[in-house]
Amino acid sequence: MYNYDTIDAEMLADRTAEFREQCARRLAGAITEEQFKPIRLKNGLYLQLHAYMLRIAIPYGTLNSAQMRMLAHVARTYDRGYGHFTTRTNLQLHWIKLRDAPDILAALAKVGLHAIQTSGNCIRNLTADPHAGATADEVDDPRVWAEAIRQWSTFHPEFSYLPRKFKIAVTGAPKDRAAVQVYDVGLRLHRDDDGALAFQVMVGGGLGRTPYLGQTIRERLPARYLLSYMQAVVRVYNRAGRRDNIHKQRIKILVSDLGAEEFARRVEAEWEASDKAAVDLPDTELARIRGAFAARGFESLPAVSPAFEAAKSENRAFARFARNNVAPHKQPGYGIVNVSLKAIGETPGDCSAEQMDLVADLAERFSLDEVRVAYEQNLILPHVRLDDLPQVWATLESAGLATPNIGLISDIIACPGLDYCALANARSIPIAQDIARRFEDPALAERIGELKIKISGCINACGHHHVGNIGILGVDKKGEEYYQISLGGSADDDASLAKILGPGLPAEGVTPAIDRIVEVYLRERREGERFIETYRRAGAEPFKEAVYAEAV
Amino acid sequence: MKVLTGNRLDDGEVVFLSGAAWSPRFGDATAFDDDARAEAAEAHAKTQLATVVDPYLIEVGETGGGLAPVSYRERLRALGPTNKPDHGKQALGGADIERLSHAVGAARSKGRVDLIRRK
Repeated sequence: MYNYDTIDAEMLADRTAEFREQCARRLAGAITEEQFKPIRLKNGLYLQLHAYMLRIAIPYGTLNSAQMRMLAHVARTYDRGYGHFTTRTNLQLHWIKLRDAPDILAALAKVGLHAIQTSGNCIRNLTADPHAGATADEVDDPRVWAEAIRQWSTFHPEFSYLPRKFKIAVTGAPKDRAAVQVYDVGLRLHRDDDGALAFQVMVGGGLGRTPYLGQTIRERLPARYLLSYMQAVVRVYNRAGRRDNIHKQRIKILVSDLGAEEFARRVEAEWEASDKAAVDLPDTELARIRGAFAARGFESLPAVSPAFEAAKSENRAFARFARNNVAPHKQPGYGIVNVSLKAIGETPGDCSAEQMDLVADLAERFSLDEVRVAYEQNLILPHVRLDDLPQVWATLESAGLATPNIGLISDIIACPGLDYCALANARSIPIAQDIARRFEDPALAERIGELKIKISGCINACGHHHVGNIGILGVDKKGEEYYQISLGGSADDDASLAKILGPGLPAEGVTPAIDRIVEVYLRERREGERFIETYRRAGAEPFKEAVYAEAV
Repeated sequence: MKVLTGNRLDDGEVVFLSGAAWSPRFGDATAFDDDARAEAAEAHAKTQLATVVDPYLIEVGETGGGLAPVSYRERLRALGPTNKPDHGKQALGGADIERLSHAVGAARSKGRVDLIRRK
């Protein structure tokens, strides 16, 4: 994977030294909170309900074992021994002290980690397909391009004060594991008719109070023009995006107001007039970045592993894990292992320092030193030999990391909600815990099949409720926590926005409602139909009837 | 009645004005029954640049033999996150913690707008 060079290392060292001085001045009362707030935010430090929160960037969701161990060290030394992986594949620490923040950033910098681009109206830390470099269905490794954008966008002077934050997701595969259609810019690599690499460029997607799916403004952008084209997109937004109403300043509002066609026309005009060569990476630099991501150390193995097959037939729990948590790898004899951070009754996305260390050890020994973070708040060991899977599973199992529920009903996305977040209206975590307990039986969860529940504690939608097969939104109704249920959303390649089912429910009504929705699905589904497909065919009515039957 | 709260500058800990000092325990908080005095305390706290961040007044009311914040959000701040009972002030135990955990009432907080603004 990509390692920061001396320029990056010096930049991080300078940045940390500068922040150390700024913190000292703030602690001495030499500068006000008003002056300091934008500075700490640019270093990922928020103030939430109980303490400071540090949001650490995990660029395109890729970590090596040394970085994962450093996250564990920081969580153990400066926080309460755990961290929370978010839907933006970052790590949030919820109990940080301001006086420790410079030491934490200095520790992170030792392994090339930081909190840059995790706040503010800039181009934020990028996300990418967490199966990058491991999945057979990709045409190219999206991290090569994500890293190119990172280098171009970090501290970009022209784009440091955009109308609002700007988020980019990249995938190199037709199957969308990065939710690219709900990003400010979603990039999907494919092969052109003549075999050349090209990007499908989608703009104006987003969740929050006004959800939109991204619209394609270019089907085939030759890949080598990525940076100059991105420059044109962000320039048009920077010039024309609104700055008068915080709720209308994201690019999705501009694209919606102008229409995708007019937005595209302006981008093309800007792009044509620009000096592309001044921005686009030379082939040699692209090759250097590409080289850093090429996985080294794959063995030539037979596609079938007798040890793996034997373990599956001997151990039903392992077989279940293999069915649900292991995805096929492009390299024969390897698998992509999903490490569930959704143990039943635990907080979605939370990971203890001990668990981080254990995953780091497994990555080092069994996964070519790589770990990935998925936006669905799970971890991934991308390159595991099938022969090693029984041992990897047993180790994960011993640490509560082998819940066989990837993509199933208990693999719930939940934001931190009112338990931590200053913006939230209602709690998300206890709702997720309660639903997971109801569907704890793994056989039941498997019988239900793919069903994605996503919970947000407020309209900002960090929990992606708009694109949940079942979305749950916490609202404040006359001072009580209430929950609005919507159905039919998807963040996959068949992306769609969920529709509100009916009036909000009190907290204790949510799990029974989910239960009834699942009952209707099991009754209505046809052979091989996933929940989302049944919903799309049958419509909302049978679900609505079941959930609100008693009220009628 | 009102209580003055904020987050301590150096560690972010939730604190309550208690006499002339700041205490991490809600049970220690000074309750103002006079709005003018409460507002004067708030104005003074805003000048304590190196002590507390964005102090604001919260509504409190009688409940079970003592005071508790009226809003659910403020009780949660005074207790800690509900998913980790061993984290936050709730771990300290005591009669005031016990009372806060059983108080009921509104989720909304007037302090919320300030909290959002200072995100």
